[in-house]
Amino acid sequence: MGAFEMLRIANTSLGMHQTWLDALGNNIANANDVTSTDQKAFQAQMVTAQARPDGGVDVSGIALGSAEGILTYAPDHPLADADGMVRAAAVDMPRQMSQLIIAQRGFQASVQTTKTAQDVYSSALQIGRP
Amino acid sequence: MSVSGIEAAGFTPYVAPQVGVQSTPSPQAPSAPNADFGGMVLDGIERLEGVQDRADGLAAQAAAGTLSNIHDYTMAATEASVTTQLTVAVRNKAVEAFTEIMRMQVG
Repeated sequence: MGAFEMLRIANTSLGMHQTWLDALGNNIANANDVTSTDQKAFQAQMVTAQARPDGGVDVSGIALGSAEGILTYAPDHPLADADGMVRAAAVDMPRQMSQLIIAQRGFQASVQTTKTAQDVYSSALQIGRP
Repeated sequence: MSVSGIEAAGFTPYVAPQVGVQSTPSPQAPSAPNADFGGMVLDGIERLEGVQDRADGLAAQAAAGTLSNIHDYTMAATEASVTTQLTVAVRNKAVEAFTEIMRMQVG
């Protein structure tokens, strides 16, 4: 326990939100991926967070979405199999976009925490000053 | 302090860290490492040096492009800045006390 607990906790939160934003960016980048039916579809990444016992938050892991994807009929596609089917990535775009905003707001809130922490520390330094 | 109404709903109250309680020397038992004021200031400066070295290392990483998280650097820089301000404040207080004593009229 140091004097900078507030900053340390905000730092863990920034790290978690950064990872979340990275995962969401990756999902959105691969949202339109198409693979052949004998291969796995793009698996959406879902970040799982966990509270730290000493305060703060940790990324406890990254869960992967369905590898089955969405079987789509596209006979013109170069990757289509004999039945004319391809595997499209099962990425829920509206969900990704709304989570992107939530993650961004969470990151901004953590930045605000660091600003407040700085204000608090400066106030403490003002004690006893004429 | 406990808030019974909230606890009943399954809320565990946050136990605030006891900042600086251990480092406050009591008159009976002064804390073991560098109990005198000069030693305390030296400890503070050594700690400040460590914090600034960490911030410098991350700044070099940022310049080299190997920094993975921007906030790691900004956070270390903030900590270094606040620690510097704190050390300077302690030093100023010490000098203030010294000049106050020097101004005393004896006899």
